[in-house]
Amino acid sequence: MEKETLMEIGTFTALVLTLLIFSFLYKENPFYRFAEYLLVGISVGYYLVIICRNTIYPLVIDKLFVQGELLVLVPTALGCLMFVRLKKKWAYLSRLPLALMIGFGAGISIPAMLQARILKQMSASMQSLLTVNGVVILIGVTSTIAYFYFSKRQEGMFGRFTQLGTYFLMVFFGATFGYTVMSRISLLIGRLEFVLRDAFGIIS
Amino acid sequence: MDLTRIDKRIIYLLLLLAVAIPLLTKLELPVNVGPQTEKVFEAIEEIPAGSHIIVSFDIEASSLPEVQPVAEAMIRHTFGRDLRIVGLALFSEGTAIGYNMLSSIAQEFGKEYGEHYIYLGFRPQYVSAILGMGEDINSVFPLDYMNDDWTEYPAFAKVRNYSDISLVLSIADGSLPTYWVEYAGSRYHQKIVTGLTAVMATSYYPYTESGQLVGMVGGLKGAAEYEKLLGYVGGGQRGMLAQSSGHLLIILVVCIANIAAWRKRR
Amino acid sequence: MLRKRIPLLICFVFGAFGLAQYYSPHPIVVSGYSTVLDWVQIIFAFTLIVGVLSVFQIHLKKISRREKLWGYSIVTLSAIIVMASAGFLGGTGRGTAFVWMFDNMQVPMQSTVFALLAFFVATAAYRGFRLRNVEAGILLAAAIVIMLGRIPIGALISDYIPAGAEWILTVPSMSAKRAVLIGIGLGSITTALRVILGIERSYLGRG
Repeated sequence: MEKETLMEIGTFTALVLTLLIFSFLYKENPFYRFAEYLLVGISVGYYLVIICRNTIYPLVIDKLFVQGELLVLVPTALGCLMFVRLKKKWAYLSRLPLALMIGFGAGISIPAMLQARILKQMSASMQSLLTVNGVVILIGVTSTIAYFYFSKRQEGMFGRFTQLGTYFLMVFFGATFGYTVMSRISLLIGRLEFVLRDAFGIIS
Repeated sequence: MDLTRIDKRIIYLLLLLAVAIPLLTKLELPVNVGPQTEKVFEAIEEIPAGSHIIVSFDIEASSLPEVQPVAEAMIRHTFGRDLRIVGLALFSEGTAIGYNMLSSIAQEFGKEYGEHYIYLGFRPQYVSAILGMGEDINSVFPLDYMNDDWTEYPAFAKVRNYSDISLVLSIADGSLPTYWVEYAGSRYHQKIVTGLTAVMATSYYPYTESGQLVGMVGGLKGAAEYEKLLGYVGGGQRGMLAQSSGHLLIILVVCIANIAAWRKRR
Repeated sequence: MLRKRIPLLICFVFGAFGLAQYYSPHPIVVSGYSTVLDWVQIIFAFTLIVGVLSVFQIHLKKISRREKLWGYSIVTLSAIIVMASAGFLGGTGRGTAFVWMFDNMQVPMQSTVFALLAFFVATAAYRGFRLRNVEAGILLAAAIVIMLGRIPIGALISDYIPAGAEWILTVPSMSAKRAVLIGIGLGSITTALRVILGIERSYLGRG
């Protein structure tokens, strides 16, 4: 088939599927549900191909059969143990590879969290205390942390300080909401641009 | 008429019109470049031509309409600066998106695969992939996306780990830039910038303010700013009028709802 | 033994190693660390395939038992088979059926699902954003300044609007998020230590 024809069929398919999903705005209907289940199938199929061709092949098949790296057999065997999860009776064997992944993940996360999330963030909060903004930041960080400290009753001076923390949190939630609106409208613009430009050619 | 109980379908219709009508006009709004976008632009400008950078497509198909203008502007900048791109993806859907985007922009700039860019494809466990690349990129990605040995390309053969990478650019719609900062940044002192969806932007200010993240280009507005710096009109600038009218409509409905509720209470 | 003790032992050994290697530049430790990082990639890839098989199994069961909406499960299973066949037989390069389906089916559908959220955000803002107390007022004010400050019209009204939005983002909003990050960091370290020491063992499941 010619490239142009394929592109036209592609644009038409994308338009129909876009409209099927948009039909949800009226109410849930069989057309929307069809698109929903189709999307799940396409996504799962995509995932399977990418994992097998782009991860399992280079990391297992190529290493084992082309490079001859026998050590790859160890993680492969552990990986294969994950399949027993599909059979209830043998599911407990999948705990071995899970334990390795979770344990190692926990171990490597500790220094990273300590360094990047705690020490670096704390030091950044105390770097410009001679400026108004620097003081506001320090008050904001400490009062918000205090708000999440539940071992002491939040009353009196401490209560008022934690109340200040809630105000900072509200500013954060408000800002996040503003950005969420921005994000969702951008997505809508993207889809409408597709319908108006690529599918119907109304805009250039 | 009770303005506290407007039918939701009327609001849907108003929003549709508020976004669609501006798209039909060719009016462009003036865009001011913000400090975050400027920082990213400067960071890429400072890199000497011929250096290698990683472009990681940490995105899903769901946010592509928003991220595409951001990613395109940033990739155009890097190709325009003659930087060599090592493309990869840490979200599976980013794999095909990244491959398509890199190849089409490379074609536009007359860049060759293996000479100016390579595409390594997807790795599923992002923490170990990010850490692994700090030791040896070839060990994490022994083959490229097409399952060829990428170390055979002379322009990329000497790329071993982050010490050979001038910058990591994470095109993201989720928390992946956090992992780049926490693992590649803090352990290997890798410079990192991100181009991301607006919804994630507020979460990254602590990192930009602490210097752990050089800067970020957030959402369609960020894309518009970047396009302005590069001197072309793309999806970002084209969408600014529609973006503005969409925001104004939402502010308007919130105000109407509050005034109507207040009047009802009185 | 195989059900609890050995998994806990593996978790402890690899957890302790993951933590200790950060502080040791010894070549043997570095080499072991790189090897385990590669192993984790491979094991995780298999885990994802299990996920795919599980989706397949669920829909197959739905069809065989004629459960509610079983007809749609045929759509899902057919789509999995068609997409997977296209990728395995035709490849994943440019111009292949696999990429065609990704570009013209998966991307439009998935991004449209998210574009629907624009409408839901609009109605949610209309219904829920009420000025009831000081906290709600602060939230509303911050949201409006950001919504105006991040569009070109904000700057056309007044230069103070984008400047105000930038200040909100880099000072009060940032400090609240920073506090949350520090809190999550402390919580994560505690949980990680509990996992390594075998106190937190919910990942083992029951049995």
